[in-house]
Amino acid sequence: MAAVSDALLFDDFGRCLPTAAQSPAHPRSRRYFTLQQPDIDYGASHARLLRHLGAGETVDAAAFAARAEAILARLRADPATAAITRGVAIPFILPRLAVDDMGRPLDERFLPALGRAFEETYPDYRFTNHNVGGLDGRLHIHPDSRHAGLVEAMGQAERVGIYFPALSEYSIPAALEQVAALPRHFLLAGGVDTSAALISAPGLLLRTDTYPPLLWLGALTSDQPGVGYHFEAYGYNLTFNRRPHLGQAAEYWTCGLSVLDGD
Amino acid sequence: MTLIEAEASGLTASESAKRNDLAARKPYIAEKLRNIAAMEERGEISPIIRLEKSYLCNFQCTHCSAEYYMDRHLEKVFKIKDERRKIDLDDIRRLSREADELGLARFVITGGEPLVMKDFDAVVEAIDPERHYIITDTNGWFLDLERAKHLKAIGVEKVQISLDSMIEAEHDAFRNKPGSYKRVMRAIDASLEAGLNLILSTVLVRGRGKTDEFRSMCEFAKQKGIGLYVSYAKPTGSCTEHPEFVITKEDADIVRELEKDYPVFTHMTPSYGSYKGCITVKGIITVTSTAEITPCPYIDFSLGNLRDTSLKDILARGMRNPWLGPHRPDCLIGEDPKFIKIHTEKTKGAVHLPLPWGQGFSDNDSLLDD
Repeated sequence: MAAVSDALLFDDFGRCLPTAAQSPAHPRSRRYFTLQQPDIDYGASHARLLRHLGAGETVDAAAFAARAEAILARLRADPATAAITRGVAIPFILPRLAVDDMGRPLDERFLPALGRAFEETYPDYRFTNHNVGGLDGRLHIHPDSRHAGLVEAMGQAERVGIYFPALSEYSIPAALEQVAALPRHFLLAGGVDTSAALISAPGLLLRTDTYPPLLWLGALTSDQPGVGYHFEAYGYNLTFNRRPHLGQAAEYWTCGLSVLDGD
Repeated sequence: MTLIEAEASGLTASESAKRNDLAARKPYIAEKLRNIAAMEERGEISPIIRLEKSYLCNFQCTHCSAEYYMDRHLEKVFKIKDERRKIDLDDIRRLSREADELGLARFVITGGEPLVMKDFDAVVEAIDPERHYIITDTNGWFLDLERAKHLKAIGVEKVQISLDSMIEAEHDAFRNKPGSYKRVMRAIDASLEAGLNLILSTVLVRGRGKTDEFRSMCEFAKQKGIGLYVSYAKPTGSCTEHPEFVITKEDADIVRELEKDYPVFTHMTPSYGSYKGCITVKGIITVTSTAEITPCPYIDFSLGNLRDTSLKDILARGMRNPWLGPHRPDCLIGEDPKFIKIHTEKTKGAVHLPLPWGQGFSDNDSLLDD
């Protein structure tokens, strides 16, 4: 894990403070669109990840728990990053997979796996991929996102990680600027890690009392400038879609950070 | 659009046929409507323009959002007449041109009850049915077959008829108008026979989504092959006195689930690739009888007056407002308690609505308190 920083990077709710963002990001949040930390059952999450995504073949449930908890412990040990662990944190496993196109594995493996995991958990509700025309060749890693490191790591071995929806109310450009100011082990989340986190915790965006935020795949650029891809609740259902963001911030929009074990 | 194209776009055969018919009769409007998805992809907006030229109405409904704009309210409560300058046909012609230049394509004539307006036909002509897709709201009271055929003949494309319960006595009580349910049923049949596009409009008050009555209305719409537009009760207008009507997220989610099985939709239901969420400014604006523009039918704060500010500038004001412009999944005035509180406090005791630009909304607005 990278060197300890002295400055506080996260607020009391685990939100990343937009200290380095020049692009639009709300300085503070009224916490209107929020997520709740789901109960983490490592055994059940592991079984779901293995059954639907084929992740966890070389990492058993006990190892999954131990490695995920170790990530959290290391973050807690650093005063600058400890507060992120007060927010929502979703452990996941990435399968070993060599990726040369960011869209194809989402279309062929991760999104179908998420659909199965979600509908298995919530048989009355649906996962819908609204994207028309497929993702093959349409998604690219933004060079400032550090996401290439995540993709490289999963090409070598199965990896355990934690997904933090900590960049709430950031524009995507601001998220990219902010991640550059974080310790090196913080990676801007993209498609494979966000999908794996949602397979691990399919109910993350299912809220009955209030509205959860939309989750951008902030690390990925699309074939059209200013347009991005995201997960979003629709009532009790889960959707994948694209929409223009045009570099703007919204109270409803959140980008995620991922931290992998061993980094 | 070919059948294959229609299927690829997610259009039903019925919707595809309607669009083909419009393209044959009014190609300019059809082209503008086709462009909306591309405009949204570019971050541009194409709101429907609701035109409230007159608030005259033959009903006095329990939940009316326009009641506080009406002369009868000003006279009864404040003992005054509204002396503000009213919108005229020249204003509407200018609005129509400005809207057309921005690529906007849809007008809804509303009120009040539009079909009591003596100048209804002149308003349709001023909007220009060859340039804009024209819809009219109605309570159905005056919409017999002869009137429906006349509406079609003058260029109205669609009617939106209010129906607030499938139980006749309940509808009539909610509308405070005995006989109104029977008139709605007559209006539905007349509209369909006249070849008008038709949707039903109903108000969702808290808890109604769970009732057998609401389910039977969904079934009725499905059997008739017509859409059922569900409008959340908002804490404005006459509903200010009925905070118990305001829905919960559960009510909204019940309707979202019903969308799977019935032709039911709200103002925030995704439609043919458009996922706007709350449609303030982005999907709708209202032009009041005094030429003020509000961001939705239920928010009594103006974004500007058409006589002072161009439509383009007013829309830009709305889109840069932190409450109105950003994408959000919930109904701002129907569900966000903080905004509802701000709106209630600012409009409380106001004689003239909407509050002018600067008194309700302004460029200093913030989501936070300071």
